[in-house]
Amino acid sequence: MKRIQGSYLRGYVKVLVKGERPERFFQACTNRGIAVWDIKKETNNTCSGNVALGDVKYLKQIKRETNDYKLRFIGRKGYPFLINQFFQKKPLLLGLCLSLLLIVFLSNIVWEVKITGVPNDLEEKITNQLEQYGVHRGSWSFTIDSPSVIQQRLLNDVPELLWVGVHKKGTTYMLEGVEKVVVEEEEVDGPRNLVATKKGVIQEMYVSKGVPKVQVNDYVEPGDVLVSGEIPSGQASEGEEENDDEKDEEEVELIAAEGDITAKTWYETNVEVPLSTNNETLTGNKEKKYAIRIGNIEFPIWGFKSPEYDQIHREKYEQPIHFLTWELPIKFVTTTLSEKEYHEVERTKEEAIDYGIKQAKQELQLHLGPKAEIISEKVLHETTENGKVKLTLYITVEEDIVKEEPINQGD
Amino acid sequence: MKNWQHRIKSWLINYLALPSDVMLELPRITVIGQLHVYIENHKGIAVYSDNELTLKANKGYIQIKGSSFVLKMMLPEEILLEGHISDIKFLPDIQE
Repeated sequence: MKRIQGSYLRGYVKVLVKGERPERFFQACTNRGIAVWDIKKETNNTCSGNVALGDVKYLKQIKRETNDYKLRFIGRKGYPFLINQFFQKKPLLLGLCLSLLLIVFLSNIVWEVKITGVPNDLEEKITNQLEQYGVHRGSWSFTIDSPSVIQQRLLNDVPELLWVGVHKKGTTYMLEGVEKVVVEEEEVDGPRNLVATKKGVIQEMYVSKGVPKVQVNDYVEPGDVLVSGEIPSGQASEGEEENDDEKDEEEVELIAAEGDITAKTWYETNVEVPLSTNNETLTGNKEKKYAIRIGNIEFPIWGFKSPEYDQIHREKYEQPIHFLTWELPIKFVTTTLSEKEYHEVERTKEEAIDYGIKQAKQELQLHLGPKAEIISEKVLHETTENGKVKLTLYITVEEDIVKEEPINQGD
Repeated sequence: MKNWQHRIKSWLINYLALPSDVMLELPRITVIGQLHVYIENHKGIAVYSDNELTLKANKGYIQIKGSSFVLKMMLPEEILLEGHISDIKFLPDIQE
């Protein structure tokens, strides 16, 4: 029975055998190991039976070996025939292909751009900006940059945006924005001291309110009070002195101290500078190529010639093509070929040290912010090993070290 | 020589309780009501028509009679017959 099960899947044919004693033909078949089933004697000299599609090729051989029987195939059943039948209907097949293509086409179009979380005027601004990037209803989704790139560009181009989240959900672009609310910088209300944030030597002091506790050229540690907000009341308002004569001498008035204090601070940094470096620069010449990638094979669509650059920097950007919500294994690939040049730089030790100092200064400036001013630097230690110069630098900076600290009015 | 072999086989069947159809290459016929006949170890079809099936066996023939016969399955040495079965007969070894 096992050999007959599943025959519908593999397909079978109904054979009509005509001749003297037709059952002998089927006997010959079974002797050869071919399974035959549903054998029926139709008339005295005809007999029909089913044979698996794979065994049909042996029938002719058997026919030749036995006496003359006439074979006629009177039925074809099973999936192979159904599939064949289906593929013979060309218009149907064409329609199916076209409809699939249409779905692929429609799945790769942006159907909606939703912007939430921002007021109307800003929404309009974002919409205009998106329009410039090519993100609008009806645009091709694989010509659009990836959501993270859009996010970055939007943040750069729309200054009113504090944050924007861009994500693609099927054919919809969802944007969630947060408006930047420009708030006046909040002054610490109430009494406060000014304290040091770093150790250093005070260079300049300008106190507009409060009692200075340190002087120029004083050394301060972090947390030291520079300007106190506690003013003895007599000193605070001299006009009222007479009236408040009776008041306790220790009574103080608390105010918000204000002032600018710059101090000299020191930093120790380590830098390593290689004596020879390679770097690449792009010359600005570039060409774009477009291709469709299926699996690992790329089919170029546009840009067949390779540009005649000596050195090429390739940048690939792949945009998947969607079918409804699924990503197809087909990708739209944009390759940017940019010409690049290699530069090999050999430095002498002196040059390397100079470069290291410059680099260290830049890094420190970046870390401290634009208000800080680097005054001087000193090389404490230098060694050369493995083609690298190691430097230990001591850098002196003038910077604002003030931090406002409220005075605790516990009682 | 043949006689000797036959005796050994008979002895094995009796004392070791081996199935006789295997040892003696006899046909095994399974009948399910009047609906199905399942014959194993036959030696080929002799006659087949709508109301008769005669199979060659080791010795002689097996004749099955009835009506509306269909060979549901036909494999080497195996046949499943479907139809309305009226009688099963063993015929001695004579020319048809």
